[in-house]
Amino acid sequence: MSTEFFRDQAMKLLLIILPLAVSFTGCAVAPWERGNLAKPQMALDPHPLQTELSGHSHGSREAAGAGGSASGGGCGCY
Amino acid sequence: MAAIKSKNKRLGRANTPNPLQSLTAAALLLPGVMLGVAQAADEDEFTFQYGRYEESHRNLGDVKSQFDPISVDSLQAGSKISLTDRVKFAFNYVQDTWSGATPISTSPIAHPASSNRQGNRALKINNTIVAGASPYVQTALPVYFDKQFNPVRIINDTGTDADGNQVVEYSQANELAHTMALASPETRKEGNFKLGYEWDEAAVDVGGGISIEKDYESRFGNIGGRLDFNQKLTSLTGGVSYTNSDTSARFDHDVLSVPGVYGTYIDTSHYTNYIEKTSDGNGYMMTGNRQDWAANLGLTQVLYKDALVKFGAGYTRSTGYMANPYKAVTVFFIDPNEFNDENADYNGYVNQPYTGQIQPFLEQRPNVRDQWNFSTGYVQYINPLDAALHVDYRFFHDDWGIDAHTFEADWVQPMGSGWTVTPRLRYYTQDAADFYTPYIISKQAKRGVKTDADGNPEFDADGNVIEIPYDASKLPAHFSSDHRLSGYGALSGGLVLTKQFAKGLTLEAGFEYYNHKGSFKLGSGGESDYADFSYYTANAALKVNLESVGRAMSGGEHDHHAMHHNHGAPLPAGVMFGHVMTTPGDIMVGYRYMYSRQDGRMLHENELAADQDIVSKGCNLEPGLTCRTSPAFMNMHMHMLDIMYAPTSWLNLMVMPQFMDMDMNMRSLGGVTPNVNRDHLHGGHETGGVGDTGLYAMFKLYQGAGHDVNMGVGVTAPTGAVDIKLRRMHTKDEGYIHYGMQLGSGTWDFKPSITYTGKVDDWSWGAQVNGTKRLENRNQAGFAFGDQLQSTAWGSYSLFNWLSASVRGIYTVQGAVKHQFNAVIGDTSEGDPIMGDVNPKEGSMDNPKNYGGRYWDVGFGLNATIPSGSLAGNTFSVEWLQPVEDDVNGYQLERDGTLNATWSYGF
Repeated sequence: MSTEFFRDQAMKLLLIILPLAVSFTGCAVAPWERGNLAKPQMALDPHPLQTELSGHSHGSREAAGAGGSASGGGCGCY
Repeated sequence: MAAIKSKNKRLGRANTPNPLQSLTAAALLLPGVMLGVAQAADEDEFTFQYGRYEESHRNLGDVKSQFDPISVDSLQAGSKISLTDRVKFAFNYVQDTWSGATPISTSPIAHPASSNRQGNRALKINNTIVAGASPYVQTALPVYFDKQFNPVRIINDTGTDADGNQVVEYSQANELAHTMALASPETRKEGNFKLGYEWDEAAVDVGGGISIEKDYESRFGNIGGRLDFNQKLTSLTGGVSYTNSDTSARFDHDVLSVPGVYGTYIDTSHYTNYIEKTSDGNGYMMTGNRQDWAANLGLTQVLYKDALVKFGAGYTRSTGYMANPYKAVTVFFIDPNEFNDENADYNGYVNQPYTGQIQPFLEQRPNVRDQWNFSTGYVQYINPLDAALHVDYRFFHDDWGIDAHTFEADWVQPMGSGWTVTPRLRYYTQDAADFYTPYIISKQAKRGVKTDADGNPEFDADGNVIEIPYDASKLPAHFSSDHRLSGYGALSGGLVLTKQFAKGLTLEAGFEYYNHKGSFKLGSGGESDYADFSYYTANAALKVNLESVGRAMSGGEHDHHAMHHNHGAPLPAGVMFGHVMTTPGDIMVGYRYMYSRQDGRMLHENELAADQDIVSKGCNLEPGLTCRTSPAFMNMHMHMLDIMYAPTSWLNLMVMPQFMDMDMNMRSLGGVTPNVNRDHLHGGHETGGVGDTGLYAMFKLYQGAGHDVNMGVGVTAPTGAVDIKLRRMHTKDEGYIHYGMQLGSGTWDFKPSITYTGKVDDWSWGAQVNGTKRLENRNQAGFAFGDQLQSTAWGSYSLFNWLSASVRGIYTVQGAVKHQFNAVIGDTSEGDPIMGDVNPKEGSMDNPKNYGGRYWDVGFGLNATIPSGSLAGNTFSVEWLQPVEDDVNGYQLERDGTLNATWSYGF
């Protein structure tokens, strides 16, 4: 695989993400208003163990299994 | 982080301003304390999870598969530790064991020989199906097709028309079915780690790991980072990862060709350069390498005090061997002579359908795949209910022609008293890959006749027509019948239940039901219903928050606690039931790992056994039986979770679930000519999964100055499987796998123990007698393991206040296996079915008399207890047991030794 090709793909991703980041800089939530955001149910992934296990099952049964970050996971040949 | 959490806990559901709120705000302002939105909770913790995956039976039309569907047992144990305030280390161990039937190919249900339909051959004696149902992806019998190349079923070919020509009547039969093949138990093991460094508003981490199974090995590394800005309301994440995987999949030796049967069983000619001889010289395997590069970027943004949103994008490039070595595609060859001659029907028949000759091929996938992912998610706090709604969407696109959409919604509802209920719903839909096809029709003869320029047949010197085989290069470049590449949708739903206990212990249970259907596909074009299936997963997890406990106990109370756990003498890692907690309400969580290996020489009683003696006397279960094989080595790994609770000062209750995995290989005995069909010389056997579950009560009988006496009584429940069978191979059925490879005892067992421990200054010592009495005479598979009695005594010296070393002697007596496996009736021959007991009996480990014995071992151990700091109260111990003398029953493999490693944490 050529590194140029890879760099091009990375640039595309950046072009999508960065404008979004800039557009949000106007938001403001004072630290003392962040109580709800800090609650465990508001965590980005409230059940990481479940996510891992069900992700493994989905990944071995679906074509879109590769979730973007490679992390072993085995052959799933069954 | 702990500060935030505990404050929130105290705030509870209070929505009105409250004096504590200002304290919370103050805590949140402290640098390094305020959590960024994309920052995972990174408290020090230990987690342990067991999961079970079980698939439904596949729809095979009117033939019922007699194989169990795929099931998987998964085990995961991991820990996150802060090495310093800013350096975090996490590691995980994952283990999956699976077995069961899975589709190997697809073909029309219209196959004329009903007993061979879909290749799932049923064996019949006196018209009663007695056993079997084996993969049979190819036969000499053809499938017929109409003029539009749709498969048909012949109704009648014996009638004649007015002119006296024979007439063939047929009807369309487009239904398809999978051919199922059985996978023997196989275990995958993965270890991975992540090392991270955190700044106040940024983090970087590197990680890596390795995943090993017998036919696939994968190594991976990743690097990632996080940047918080906009007062931590915005977080950017990014990462790159690389995976390098090797396939080395052994073929059943009769897959490549079946002597005397119709040609090649599965055509593997495309992979000639990838197929190598196995190292033992007994077979062939597919080899291939695959590499995956992936990059991803993410953005998380707090929208206002009750909502946040996230976006992600990822790209993965995969290159190399990406096919599945266990999947075949059915190709039907139709001789063009049948449809080129439009004037006359073939062979004098009227309305003769085309004849499709079957030849399965190993599937062929492209060796490059570019994949893109775009995802977005939204999290909303629902104030009146204190709940959170998570909604996610992901779009996937690749250059194999697959577009996929995933929609997911979770409702996280805290219920009070530490309970949280989370219903989850998910919908997934995908297009078929460009090269997906249930089967292929190739318009060429499977065996054609060589013709000259005028189209006349050519003859060899003897006057026979010259046959030419099919030309595989006329097939499409890529093809696969794997239903994972078909068009379908999947709807799944589940529930997660968590209960957090005050002491930092969290229990979690989850359930998911998943329904895969061609008709659920978004838009049209889903695969028809023969490929539908469903599965469920159920899991239970335990989480111990090391940090919150450690911090909660800082100060004088903490020291007391550490003292409390140290006051009992340190126990060697291999000793269980030696310690009783005396403070009511105390909980201890422990993890035990045991590895033992047998390897090397065969013993008879306490002497070396000669191969000739094993052959003639080792398999004398039935008169006239001789041994052909003996074990070459055997490994056993046991993972055990140890949960202990003290309701009173003199009684402790314990629950100990176990997870086993084992592997072994065989060798031919000297003087025996190896026979791959008969002797299982095909790369070894593996089993694994849930073992027996121990339930114990421990009593403090005596406590004096420096002397303790404890008694334990308990049982093990027969939760481990004892009915694991070898899969059908080489067109022969197989019975139960060896006694020692089963996962449990199959019987309820009584396990009493009595332990004495003593301690003076830096010296401690102890002795224990424990026993195992089988409470049943035989288990459901027909046998019972022998009873066991073990005596042990040890001495230990504290080298430092946190480290001690021990020496131990152990004497064990175990009885032989009682009775034997129930007979399993199946096909014992490689040809016409001859029914009989197919349990293996020609290996020394298949003889129940070759189990048990009298053993002397010496153990050398180390025991470390962390005395202070945030991880105070954690105890780690290891012990190596070195066999000193074996006196085995019958003929058995010598023991190499046993490693015990334990971790325990009391709070």
